[in-house]
Amino acid sequence: MAKAKDALLDPLFNNNPIALQILGICSALAVTNKMSTALTMTVAVVLVTACSNAAISAIRNHIPNSIRIIVQMTIIATLVIIIDQMLKAYLYEMSKALSVYVGLIITNCIVMGRAEAYAMKNPVGLSLLDGIGNGLGYGAVLLSVGFVRELFGSGKLFGVTILNTVNNGGWYVTNGLMLLAPSAFFLIGFIIWGLRTWKPELQE
Amino acid sequence: MSNDSIAKTFLVAFLLCVVCSVLVCLAAIVRIDREAYNKQLEIRKTVLEAGGYQQQIDDGGNIDEIFTTNMEMKLVDLATGKYTTAVDAATYNQKEAVKQPELSETIPADLDLAGIGTRAKYAAVYLDKNGGVVLPIRGAGMWGPMYGYIAIAADGTTVKGFTFYQHSETPGLGAEVDNPNWKKQWPDKQVFNAAGKLALKVVKKGKYDPNAADAISTIDGIAGSTVTGSKVHGIVRYWFGEHGFAPFLAKFKAERG
Repeated sequence: MAKAKDALLDPLFNNNPIALQILGICSALAVTNKMSTALTMTVAVVLVTACSNAAISAIRNHIPNSIRIIVQMTIIATLVIIIDQMLKAYLYEMSKALSVYVGLIITNCIVMGRAEAYAMKNPVGLSLLDGIGNGLGYGAVLLSVGFVRELFGSGKLFGVTILNTVNNGGWYVTNGLMLLAPSAFFLIGFIIWGLRTWKPELQE
Repeated sequence: MSNDSIAKTFLVAFLLCVVCSVLVCLAAIVRIDREAYNKQLEIRKTVLEAGGYQQQIDDGGNIDEIFTTNMEMKLVDLATGKYTTAVDAATYNQKEAVKQPELSETIPADLDLAGIGTRAKYAAVYLDKNGGVVLPIRGAGMWGPMYGYIAIAADGTTVKGFTFYQHSETPGLGAEVDNPNWKKQWPDKQVFNAAGKLALKVVKKGKYDPNAADAISTIDGIAGSTVTGSKVHGIVRYWFGEHGFAPFLAKFKAERG
């Protein structure tokens, strides 16, 4: 039971894929200027890491060593394509906002990293939890960055106005930097700093 | 059978390929049907929004229903400005036509204010049964192409509405082209002046003078996005020019106005 809890919760803070393993930075910069895109991306990544971990773990005893990376890649790619297609079919506006980044989940090192490092050695249940946990760890950073960027960049959260901006006749002068990708770099830097100050054992 | 034997390797690879391709195919089948409908719905929604039917949509009206009662699609030969039946309107796709040599035309470099290089020979316009017409426009934006619609009243010169449905401008800056507060200055602007010359323009934010003689044809730009403003300016200048919809609007005005 403790093991299951660790598999699920460790990646949130103690072993966060973005803040500690520094994986998946590319999409964390690209889809965080709005909360809604960050949330959809989080859900997509949780689904992919969970399903790919479970699927790979289920057949781990039958994967020939010589082609294991290709097998993992094929499974991950299939899941990502399915999710991309479903977004296009049922959340069309959202799929436009996320554009290529859903497809790029395939190359997100978190998914592949967990498949190789965890799912190949652990049973299905634990691998599933580890996948969900890592997806959520990724999502937690994405949503925190998205929160700051959308609030200070456009004065909104999930598209709902919080700070009335000058463009709409209000008082809030938006912070242009927050709308551009580099701001996510700074914010992720602050998150890493904060996390390592809070938990000194994470320092290398 | 050993996991690393050649036979097992081939067997696993083969089974994996079969299972994965079946799953991907199923997903694609679902998507193809829905996506065609989604794209059509998006275009209908934008056409209605530009044409001034936003309120009816906000009131919970069915987009397909409002569209079919109010709008009628027709193809216009841009060179002559006349309606055409040279291609089948029901299956015509203007975005695709741009890529086909027999359906498109290169824009002379000096006329290419929208920065698009080629345009389709035929444009799909939407005639509003209550007067007016909704015209498709497109051009290069700051980061990528911009697609939108502009609605013109039956007099062939008064703007009724303007909206983009696809662009990749910077959120919070150029993407303010989607801000209703910016779009609301478009209705009632005059595309052509009293002499019939193209007058509509987008100026830099702050250069708009409400008392100037041409204020009725001037759109104030967007704060912090001079580039997007000038791109939109180029788009309207091209599409209402002689190479764009000017010949059509002249005929449209004579016929309906």
